[in-house]
Amino acid sequence: MTQEFDDKLDRAARQLATEVAPQRDLWPDIASAMAAPGRSRWTPMFAQAAAVVLLVGASSAITYVAVKNDQAPVVSIEPQLVFEQASFGGNYHLGPDFQAARNGLRAELDAELARLSPEASADIRANLDQIHTAIADINKVLEQEPGNALLQQKLLRAYTEELSLLNRVGGLTRDVMMRNDI
Amino acid sequence: MEALLTVAGSDYSRGMTSADTDKVTDEEAWIRRAKRSDAQAFEALYRLHVGKVYGLCLRMTGNVSEAEDCTQEAFIQAWNKMARFRGDSAFSTWLHRIAVNAVLGRIRKSTRERDRIAAVADVEPARVATGDTGELRDLAEAIDRLPERARHIFVLNAVYGYSHEEAAGMLGIAAGTSKAQLHRARRLLMQQLESEGFRV
Repeated sequence: MTQEFDDKLDRAARQLATEVAPQRDLWPDIASAMAAPGRSRWTPMFAQAAAVVLLVGASSAITYVAVKNDQAPVVSIEPQLVFEQASFGGNYHLGPDFQAARNGLRAELDAELARLSPEASADIRANLDQIHTAIADINKVLEQEPGNALLQQKLLRAYTEELSLLNRVGGLTRDVMMRNDI
Repeated sequence: MEALLTVAGSDYSRGMTSADTDKVTDEEAWIRRAKRSDAQAFEALYRLHVGKVYGLCLRMTGNVSEAEDCTQEAFIQAWNKMARFRGDSAFSTWLHRIAVNAVLGRIRKSTRERDRIAAVADVEPARVATGDTGELRDLAEAIDRLPERARHIFVLNAVYGYSHEEAAGMLGIAAGTSKAQLHRARRLLMQQLESEGFRV
């Protein structure tokens, strides 16, 4: 019974019209879209790669200028917390200057947090924990996909957010607290 | 006219009528020209294939305006990707793949969009445009009422004759899932059609 129905159904389905004329001519809209200037043929991957290159280039240029003009040496402080070594697809890593600046900020942050209310302090620590978890997760995936431009971009953004948070909390305004040797 | 640009009588044309052969050779010439950004040739390809592409979109969405949008989107994407068409499959199959992607892309857009599609479908049933008559119209309406996945598989497999592997490839699912969805579609259609006294 079921097989019989299925056979009949298949026969009927094959009789359904496969070619149906649209009720209106769709070509004029298609033609104008084809002729529209500036329609990008970039694939998302190319766009992502371009964004990473642009971001890294711009960031490096800004940092270079900042470091060049800054006479005050960065105070090197023994890190109280050990951060994971970041990998950018095996081709890049956080340099010693960046690590030193980051650890310096972190050391001062602890002192700042001690002056804040327990609730505010807990919120900030929670935010930092979230960023660190994200960094660790992204690095883990990057080990498997070292060429993933989108992940590299996300990692860079996570580090930037971390530094921004550290700067805001500590009230620090150093020019050098940018990624300067990634 | 276009047929003069190509060499007729190659192996693929065996068993075809001269009109069919002309159509194929015309299509090949149009494809070559469209790949060089010839919009006129692409329009000829559009005229040749729009019925099948629109028909597929209409069967998959069950809605006239959505089918029109998907058809336009499919041809615009095809134009943008023309240079990448290598001829590994028939041009119509390649177009169908793009059309299926356009349909899936629209469906994925948002729940709100789907609600709108459903609302429009209530006002303007697909049967108005498919040309199906009699019991085939009942079948077409029953297909429109199928759940999305089951409807897509049934349309690609049972109506357009794509294999489970081909349909699954277009929809980005496993062939086994395609078979399960086809089985589900048949059971649901049986329930709907038998209750309406449909005799296939």
